[in-house]
Amino acid sequence: MPLARDYFEFQQLTGNRGLIFSFVGFLSEGILYSLGEMLKQKMSLEDTDAKITRRVFSVFVEQVQNILRYSSERVSDEPHASVALSSGMISVGREANGFFVICGNVVREQEAAALDQRLTTIAKLNPDELKSLYREKLREPVESDAIGGNVGLIEIARRSSRPIEFDFVPVGEQQMFFCLKAYI
Amino acid sequence: MQSIHREATKRSPELRFDFAHHRLSLAGESYPEDAAAFFGPPLQAMADYLDSLTEASVELELRMTYFNSSSAKALMNMFQLLERAAARGITARVRWYYDPEDDAMQEFGEDFAADFQHSAFEMIPLPTD
Repeated sequence: MPLARDYFEFQQLTGNRGLIFSFVGFLSEGILYSLGEMLKQKMSLEDTDAKITRRVFSVFVEQVQNILRYSSERVSDEPHASVALSSGMISVGREANGFFVICGNVVREQEAAALDQRLTTIAKLNPDELKSLYREKLREPVESDAIGGNVGLIEIARRSSRPIEFDFVPVGEQQMFFCLKAYI
Repeated sequence: MQSIHREATKRSPELRFDFAHHRLSLAGESYPEDAAAFFGPPLQAMADYLDSLTEASVELELRMTYFNSSSAKALMNMFQLLERAAARGITARVRWYYDPEDDAMQEFGEDFAADFQHSAFEMIPLPTD
Protein backbone atom coordinates (compact mmCIF):
# COMPACT_ATOMS: atom_id res chain seq x y z
CA MET A 1 0.00 0.00 0.00
CA PRO A 2 1.34 3.42 -0.90
CA LEU A 3 -0.27 4.94 2.18
CA ALA A 4 2.90 5.73 4.16
CA ARG A 5 4.79 6.77 1.00
CA ASP A 6 2.04 9.13 -0.12
CA TYR A 7 1.78 10.80 3.23
CA PHE A 8 5.54 10.86 3.76
CA GLU A 9 5.77 12.81 0.48
CA PHE A 10 3.04 15.09 1.73
CA GLN A 11 4.94 15.64 4.98
CA GLN A 12 8.24 16.20 3.11
CA LEU A 13 6.59 18.79 0.91
CA THR A 14 5.75 20.89 3.94
CA GLY A 15 9.14 20.21 5.56
CA ASN A 16 10.97 21.40 2.44
CA ARG A 17 9.28 24.74 2.69
CA GLY A 18 10.73 25.29 6.13
CA LEU A 19 7.40 25.02 7.86
CA ILE A 20 7.18 24.74 11.61
CA PHE A 21 3.53 23.87 11.16
CA SER A 22 0.72 24.26 8.71
CA PHE A 23 -2.91 23.90 9.60
CA VAL A 24 -5.53 23.46 6.91
CA GLY A 25 -9.18 23.06 7.76
CA PHE A 26 -11.69 24.44 10.20
CA LEU A 27 -10.14 26.81 12.72
CA SER A 28 -11.60 27.89 16.05
CA GLU A 29 -10.52 30.14 18.93
CA GLY A 30 -9.51 26.95 20.80
CA ILE A 31 -7.21 25.89 17.97
CA LEU A 32 -5.74 29.39 17.82
CA TYR A 33 -4.82 29.09 21.51
CA SER A 34 -3.29 25.61 21.17
CA LEU A 35 -1.31 26.35 18.02
CA GLY A 36 -0.11 29.60 19.56
CA GLU A 37 1.15 27.81 22.70
CA MET A 38 2.95 25.21 20.58
CA LEU A 39 4.51 27.96 18.46
CA LYS A 40 5.83 29.82 21.52
CA GLN A 41 7.20 26.58 23.02
CA LYS A 42 8.89 25.57 19.77
CA MET A 43 10.51 28.98 19.33
CA SER A 44 11.64 29.04 22.94
CA LEU A 45 13.19 25.55 22.62
CA GLU A 46 15.14 26.85 19.63
CA ASP A 47 16.37 29.80 21.71
CA THR A 48 14.70 32.30 19.43
CA ASP A 49 15.11 35.93 20.55
CA ALA A 50 12.11 36.82 22.75
CA LYS A 51 11.36 39.92 20.66
CA ILE A 52 11.13 37.83 17.47
CA THR A 53 8.92 35.25 19.20
CA ARG A 54 6.56 38.00 20.38
CA ARG A 55 6.35 39.46 16.86
CA VAL A 56 5.70 36.09 15.21
CA PHE A 57 3.07 35.27 17.84
CA SER A 58 1.34 38.60 17.38
CA VAL A 59 1.17 38.23 13.58
CA PHE A 60 -0.05 34.65 14.01
CA VAL A 61 -2.90 35.73 16.34
CA GLU A 62 -4.07 38.56 14.06
CA GLN A 63 -3.95 36.32 10.98
CA VAL A 64 -5.96 33.51 12.60
CA GLN A 65 -8.51 35.94 14.04
CA ASN A 66 -8.82 37.43 10.58
CA ILE A 67 -9.69 34.00 9.18
CA LEU A 68 -12.15 33.40 12.04
CA ARG A 69 -13.94 36.66 11.25
CA TYR A 70 -13.74 36.90 7.51
CA SER A 71 -13.59 33.42 5.99
CA SER A 72 -16.68 32.97 3.87
CA GLU A 73 -16.53 29.25 4.67
CA ARG A 74 -17.95 29.42 8.13
CA VAL A 75 -20.07 27.16 10.28
CA SER A 76 -21.97 28.69 13.18
CA ASP A 77 -25.49 29.24 14.38
CA GLU A 78 -25.09 32.95 15.08
CA PRO A 79 -22.89 35.66 13.51
CA HIS A 80 -20.41 36.23 16.37
CA ALA A 81 -20.66 32.94 18.23
CA SER A 82 -17.40 31.88 19.88
CA VAL A 83 -18.06 28.29 18.80
CA ALA A 84 -17.94 29.31 15.17
CA LEU A 85 -15.61 27.38 12.89
CA SER A 86 -14.04 29.08 9.90
CA SER A 87 -12.19 27.28 7.16
CA GLY A 88 -8.73 28.43 6.16
CA MET A 89 -5.04 27.73 6.41
CA ILE A 90 -2.29 29.08 8.62
CA SER A 91 1.40 28.29 8.25
CA VAL A 92 4.42 29.41 10.20
CA GLY A 93 7.93 28.65 9.02
CA ARG A 94 11.49 29.72 8.71
CA GLU A 95 13.47 30.82 5.67
CA ALA A 96 17.07 31.97 5.29
CA ASN A 97 16.13 35.53 6.27
CA GLY A 98 13.86 34.76 9.18
CA PHE A 99 10.36 33.65 10.04
CA PHE A 100 7.22 33.94 7.97
CA VAL A 101 3.52 33.59 8.72
CA ILE A 102 1.07 32.84 5.91
CA CYS A 103 -2.70 32.72 6.11
CA GLY A 104 -5.23 31.85 3.46
CA ASN A 105 -8.99 31.68 3.27
CA VAL A 106 -11.89 32.06 0.88
CA VAL A 107 -13.67 35.41 0.82
CA ARG A 108 -16.58 36.73 -1.19
CA GLU A 109 -15.57 38.60 -4.35
CA GLN A 110 -16.96 41.88 -3.07
CA GLU A 111 -15.04 41.63 0.20
CA ALA A 112 -11.90 40.66 -1.71
CA ALA A 113 -11.99 44.00 -3.56
CA ALA A 114 -12.23 45.95 -0.29
CA LEU A 115 -9.51 43.85 1.32
CA ASP A 116 -7.25 44.29 -1.72
CA GLN A 117 -7.65 48.05 -1.52
CA ARG A 118 -6.96 48.16 2.21
CA LEU A 119 -3.87 45.95 1.98
CA THR A 120 -2.50 47.81 -1.04
CA THR A 121 -2.60 51.00 1.04
CA ILE A 122 -1.09 49.37 4.12
CA ALA A 123 1.70 47.61 2.21
CA LYS A 124 3.03 50.94 0.90
CA LEU A 125 3.31 52.64 4.28
CA ASN A 126 6.57 53.09 6.17
CA PRO A 127 6.79 52.26 9.90
CA ASP A 128 5.92 55.80 11.04
CA GLU A 129 2.93 55.98 8.70
CA LEU A 130 1.75 52.56 9.90
CA LYS A 131 2.05 53.73 13.47
CA SER A 132 -0.08 56.82 12.91
CA LEU A 133 -2.68 54.91 10.87
CA TYR A 134 -2.89 52.36 13.70
CA ARG A 135 -3.51 55.11 16.25
CA GLU A 136 -6.04 56.78 14.01
CA LYS A 137 -7.98 53.52 13.60
CA LEU A 138 -7.87 52.87 17.35
CA ARG A 139 -9.37 56.26 18.05
CA GLU A 140 -12.28 55.73 15.64
CA PRO A 141 -15.40 55.08 17.74
CA VAL A 142 -16.71 52.15 15.71
CA GLU A 143 -14.91 50.28 12.98
CA SER A 144 -16.58 51.02 9.69
CA ASP A 145 -15.90 47.42 8.89
CA ALA A 146 -17.64 45.22 11.47
CA ILE A 147 -15.39 43.57 14.02
CA GLY A 148 -12.02 45.20 13.75
CA GLY A 149 -10.03 43.65 10.93
CA ASN A 150 -8.51 46.98 9.94
CA VAL A 151 -6.45 47.40 13.08
CA GLY A 152 -5.44 43.74 12.88
CA LEU A 153 -4.08 44.12 9.34
CA ILE A 154 -2.11 47.21 10.36
CA GLU A 155 -0.73 45.31 13.37
CA ILE A 156 0.45 42.53 11.01
CA ALA A 157 2.22 45.10 8.80
CA ARG A 158 3.77 46.82 11.83
CA ARG A 159 5.30 43.60 13.17
CA SER A 160 6.65 42.61 9.73
CA SER A 161 10.29 43.25 8.93
CA ARG A 162 9.56 43.47 5.19
CA PRO A 163 6.49 44.69 3.28
CA ILE A 164 3.61 42.22 3.51
CA GLU A 165 2.77 40.18 0.39
CA PHE A 166 -0.76 39.25 -0.57
CA ASP A 167 -2.66 37.82 -3.48
CA PHE A 168 -6.10 36.64 -4.60
CA VAL A 169 -7.15 33.88 -6.95
CA PRO A 170 -10.73 33.24 -8.16
CA VAL A 171 -12.22 30.00 -6.88
CA GLY A 172 -15.76 29.12 -7.83
CA GLU A 173 -18.87 31.25 -7.88
CA GLN A 174 -18.05 34.85 -6.81
CA GLN A 175 -15.43 33.59 -4.39
CA MET A 176 -11.72 34.38 -4.12
CA PHE A 177 -8.95 32.60 -2.26
CA PHE A 178 -7.03 35.23 -0.31
CA CYS A 179 -3.44 34.70 0.83
CA LEU A 180 -1.24 36.94 3.00
CA LYS A 181 2.43 36.48 3.90
CA ALA A 182 4.30 38.42 6.55
CA TYR A 183 8.04 38.19 7.25
CA ILE A 184 9.53 38.61 10.70
CA MET B 1 -20.57 51.37 42.99
CA GLN B 2 -19.80 47.65 42.78
CA SER B 3 -16.12 46.82 42.20
CA ILE B 4 -15.14 44.44 39.42
CA HIS B 5 -12.48 41.81 39.92
CA ARG B 6 -11.61 39.14 37.38
CA GLU B 7 -8.71 36.76 37.77
CA ALA B 8 -6.37 36.36 34.83
CA THR B 9 -7.02 33.46 32.47
CA LYS B 10 -4.70 32.03 29.82
CA ARG B 11 -5.96 34.62 27.37
CA SER B 12 -7.36 37.47 29.41
CA PRO B 13 -5.72 39.85 31.89
CA GLU B 14 -6.37 40.25 35.59
CA LEU B 15 -8.84 43.09 35.87
CA ARG B 16 -9.43 45.02 39.10
CA PHE B 17 -11.72 48.02 39.04
CA ASP B 18 -11.90 49.18 42.65
CA PHE B 19 -14.23 52.13 42.19
CA ALA B 20 -14.53 52.88 45.92
CA HIS B 21 -10.78 53.56 46.12
CA HIS B 22 -10.52 55.04 42.61
CA ARG B 23 -7.96 52.45 41.57
CA LEU B 24 -8.27 50.51 38.35
CA SER B 25 -5.77 47.99 37.06
CA LEU B 26 -5.15 45.50 34.28
CA ALA B 27 -2.28 43.04 34.11
CA GLY B 28 -1.17 40.20 31.88
CA GLU B 29 -1.92 38.94 28.40
CA SER B 30 -5.03 39.89 26.48
CA TYR B 31 -6.38 38.14 23.42
CA PRO B 32 -9.79 37.00 24.64
CA GLU B 33 -12.01 34.88 22.41
CA ASP B 34 -14.56 37.65 22.38
CA ALA B 35 -13.02 41.03 23.23
CA ALA B 36 -16.40 42.79 23.19
CA ALA B 37 -17.82 40.35 25.75
CA PHE B 38 -14.73 40.62 27.99
CA PHE B 39 -14.25 44.40 27.91
CA GLY B 40 -17.82 45.58 27.27
CA PRO B 41 -19.25 45.35 30.81
CA PRO B 42 -16.14 46.77 32.62
CA LEU B 43 -15.99 49.63 30.11
CA GLN B 44 -19.65 50.44 30.71
CA ALA B 45 -19.13 50.30 34.49
CA MET B 46 -16.07 52.53 34.18
CA ALA B 47 -18.04 55.07 32.12
CA ASP B 48 -20.86 55.12 34.71
CA TYR B 49 -18.36 55.43 37.56
CA LEU B 50 -16.51 58.34 35.94
CA ASP B 51 -19.81 60.07 35.14
CA SER B 52 -20.78 59.83 38.81
CA LEU B 53 -17.63 61.61 40.01
CA THR B 54 -17.53 65.29 40.82
CA GLU B 55 -14.15 65.38 42.44
CA ALA B 56 -11.62 62.55 42.68
CA SER B 57 -8.16 61.36 41.81
CA VAL B 58 -8.36 58.24 39.66
CA GLU B 59 -5.48 55.89 38.92
CA LEU B 60 -5.32 53.35 36.12
CA GLU B 61 -2.40 50.97 36.30
CA LEU B 62 -1.43 48.69 33.38
CA ARG B 63 1.08 45.87 33.39
CA MET B 64 0.45 44.31 30.02
CA THR B 65 2.73 41.72 28.47
CA TYR B 66 0.78 41.19 25.25
CA PHE B 67 -2.51 42.31 23.73
CA ASN B 68 -4.10 41.81 20.34
CA SER B 69 -5.63 44.51 18.17
CA SER B 70 -9.17 44.09 19.57
CA SER B 71 -7.80 44.55 23.10
CA ALA B 72 -5.82 47.60 21.97
CA LYS B 73 -9.11 49.08 20.87
CA ALA B 74 -10.59 48.42 24.32
CA LEU B 75 -7.57 50.02 26.03
CA MET B 76 -7.98 53.07 23.81
CA ASN B 77 -11.64 53.25 24.88
CA MET B 78 -10.58 53.26 28.56
CA PHE B 79 -8.08 56.03 27.92
CA GLN B 80 -10.69 58.07 26.07
CA LEU B 81 -13.09 57.73 29.03
CA LEU B 82 -10.36 58.91 31.42
CA GLU B 83 -9.45 61.82 29.18
CA ARG B 84 -13.05 62.91 28.97
CA ALA B 85 -13.34 62.82 32.78
CA ALA B 86 -10.02 64.65 33.16
CA ALA B 87 -11.19 67.34 30.74
CA ARG B 88 -13.98 68.23 33.16
CA GLY B 89 -11.76 68.41 36.21
CA ILE B 90 -11.26 64.87 37.52
CA THR B 91 -7.60 64.13 38.27
CA ALA B 92 -6.58 61.08 36.24
CA ARG B 93 -3.27 59.29 36.12
CA VAL B 94 -2.21 56.30 34.03
CA ARG B 95 0.81 54.20 34.96
CA TRP B 96 2.12 52.08 32.11
CA TYR B 97 4.52 49.43 33.43
CA TYR B 98 6.60 47.62 30.81
CA ASP B 99 9.51 45.28 30.45
CA PRO B 100 12.32 47.45 29.03
CA GLU B 101 13.33 44.51 26.82
CA ASP B 102 9.87 44.40 25.28
CA ASP B 103 10.05 46.96 22.48
CA ALA B 104 6.41 46.41 21.47
CA MET B 105 4.97 47.21 24.93
CA GLN B 106 7.25 50.23 25.28
CA GLU B 107 6.21 51.54 21.86
CA PHE B 108 2.51 50.97 22.59
CA GLY B 109 2.91 52.94 25.82
CA GLU B 110 4.60 55.80 23.99
CA ASP B 111 1.89 55.77 21.31
CA PHE B 112 -0.93 55.88 23.84
CA ALA B 113 0.86 58.57 25.87
CA ALA B 114 0.90 60.87 22.85
CA ASP B 115 -2.90 61.12 22.92
CA PHE B 116 -3.17 62.33 26.51
CA GLN B 117 -3.80 66.01 27.12
CA HIS B 118 -5.73 66.24 30.38
CA SER B 119 -4.52 63.22 32.35
CA ALA B 120 -0.99 62.21 33.30
CA PHE B 121 0.55 59.22 31.55
CA GLU B 122 3.62 57.77 33.20
CA MET B 123 5.90 55.15 31.59
CA ILE B 124 7.53 52.94 34.22
CA PRO B 125 10.12 50.35 33.20
CA LEU B 126 9.94 47.20 35.33
CA PRO B 127 13.18 46.10 36.98
CA THR B 128 14.94 43.37 35.00
CA ASP B 129 16.48 40.41 36.81
